[in-house]
Amino acid sequence: MIKYSVELENITKRFGQVVAVNNVSLRIKENEFFSLLGPSGCGKTTTLRIIAGLEKPDTGVVKLHGQDVTYIPTHKRNIGMVFQHLALFPHMDVYENIAFGLRMRGFSDNDISRRVKRMLEVVRLPGFERRKINQLSGGQQQRVALARALVMEPEVLLLDEPLGALDLKIRQEMMVELKRIQREVGTTFVYVTHDQNEAMVMSDRIAVMNEGVIQQVDSPDTIYMRPKNIFVASFIGEQINFIEGVYKGNQEFEAKGGMVLRVSDNPDAINKKSVIAIRPERIMIGDKAPPRGMNSVEGRVEMMVFKGSSIEYRISANISDEIIVFVPNISPTMKMYKIGEKVYLTWDPEAGIVLPFESKPAEPRKIG
Amino acid sequence: MSKSDVILKIYTILLLGIIYVPIGVLIVFSFNNSRNRAVFTGFTLENYYRLLADERVWSSFYNSIWVAIVVTIASVFFAILLSYAVTRYDFKGKDILDMLLLIPIIIPEIVEALTLLLFFIIIGIPLSPWTIIIGHIAFDISFAYLVIKARMAGYDPQYEEAARTLGADELKTFFRVTLPILLPGIIAASLIAFVESYDDFIKSYFTRPGGFSTLPVHIWSMASRRGVTVDLNALATIVVIIAIFFAYIRIKMERWM
Repeated sequence: MIKYSVELENITKRFGQVVAVNNVSLRIKENEFFSLLGPSGCGKTTTLRIIAGLEKPDTGVVKLHGQDVTYIPTHKRNIGMVFQHLALFPHMDVYENIAFGLRMRGFSDNDISRRVKRMLEVVRLPGFERRKINQLSGGQQQRVALARALVMEPEVLLLDEPLGALDLKIRQEMMVELKRIQREVGTTFVYVTHDQNEAMVMSDRIAVMNEGVIQQVDSPDTIYMRPKNIFVASFIGEQINFIEGVYKGNQEFEAKGGMVLRVSDNPDAINKKSVIAIRPERIMIGDKAPPRGMNSVEGRVEMMVFKGSSIEYRISANISDEIIVFVPNISPTMKMYKIGEKVYLTWDPEAGIVLPFESKPAEPRKIG
Repeated sequence: MSKSDVILKIYTILLLGIIYVPIGVLIVFSFNNSRNRAVFTGFTLENYYRLLADERVWSSFYNSIWVAIVVTIASVFFAILLSYAVTRYDFKGKDILDMLLLIPIIIPEIVEALTLLLFFIIIGIPLSPWTIIIGHIAFDISFAYLVIKARMAGYDPQYEEAARTLGADELKTFFRVTLPILLPGIIAASLIAFVESYDDFIKSYFTRPGGFSTLPVHIWSMASRRGVTVDLNALATIVVIIAIFFAYIRIKMERWM
């Protein structure tokens, strides 16, 4: 039987007229690195604060390790939390910050000293006990905040965009560190972020949220390759192409203008107005028509950008005004197409994912 | 050095001179061994001995201190509550409250003192040390509020939430986290409130009962009765040194705030 660290059942939270969290249900497994990913204002932080008990849900049940804690106050829940602004106590040194939780729970001085020392080793800050908080770099403060939350050996560690304030290089270093520390302490991590890169790099599973609703919960590769709707497809990844049409069943998709494309199957979409989503790197480009039976779209190069590791083309075709194609830069002798040139595009049927059509697809707010 | 630099330098020296030369002269002449106020004839501590033997000096000094302590505690207490309300909550009339709390700083003190005196007479409160205290609190709240509010505005409520996630209940959170973080602001506000009350003259003079003197009031009565004597120099020197001591603590405090 799978054990769950955190279970949310039909959680709803309103702030005035705004529904911040709309009927959210989630099950986070033990020792999982789980991310809540979404644009700002999507309800991910409110969801995290509900798990911590810092917000009370209007309806629904919160369970930690199978126990209903919906009405248990924060200080009696066995959780740790790392805050967006870290909230390290400025009037205490590193040692006292980390020892705070242990003191609150009445550990002996010997025990406290032993645990703080061990925790400082875990976060790789040995000997930093007597440093003042304002003498630490951003990355070091990050590690102290982690140590302070983890020294209690909580069942769940909640992290609210903790890397947001760091510059790129330290952020990347901390991502690796977080993952290492999570493996070392074997605690469930629930990580809130708007940065898909952070979520992709660290998570075992990701819940993509938008407007208070969970859009999809899956592993990073599934989220990227098998998005369930237009929002997830466009929020995740650098770019994606959408082509409107009707799914006819049997892996056949009729695009606008009557052209039939081979796509991956989606039984729910048969004979319905649909959209196919294709990642730019999955499309191949050539100057000759591909063999019969393969997807073949004739188009014209409208734009070409050399990006170093890849070349980005924008192609106009009768099925779409703009199809983005990334061609990996694999050889100095590779052919580069010029603006105005006639080209043929092709892709594997399974690269075309059939998604339900949305009359007004939610505009994804991409940040970072 | 350019011409404007020279002018700026002279200007600065003149300005500081106008402020500090009279105080310097006052201090120097408090050690003069003659009653001559213009010529320094020799060093003595005689003036101080005479002063310290004067019982009325001691009683007015004592009055100043206990009045200032009561005023400080009360003003800082109210200022903490007011700052907390203004920085943490949204309510109707918040901006007006904020403005009303700062106005006493700019109202001429003589006006405040007069209206206070009239107010006490109209509602029939006999003058006592407590009418002085009420008068001092009425404007010390403003100074304390100004300092504490600034400190609280920079205080992140996430500190309290962090303490909660670490197992601290409301009471422990307040005493272990909220109060210590706000403490430098509270101490700074206390020092200002104390000094403002301790060296206040106008309000104390208007709202005091007969026979009750604070140190500034006693200095005034000495000066008006006997003119400016060397005794007064010595007394003023003591008052200045105490005030400078508090100012020094405050500057030191700002370093570690």
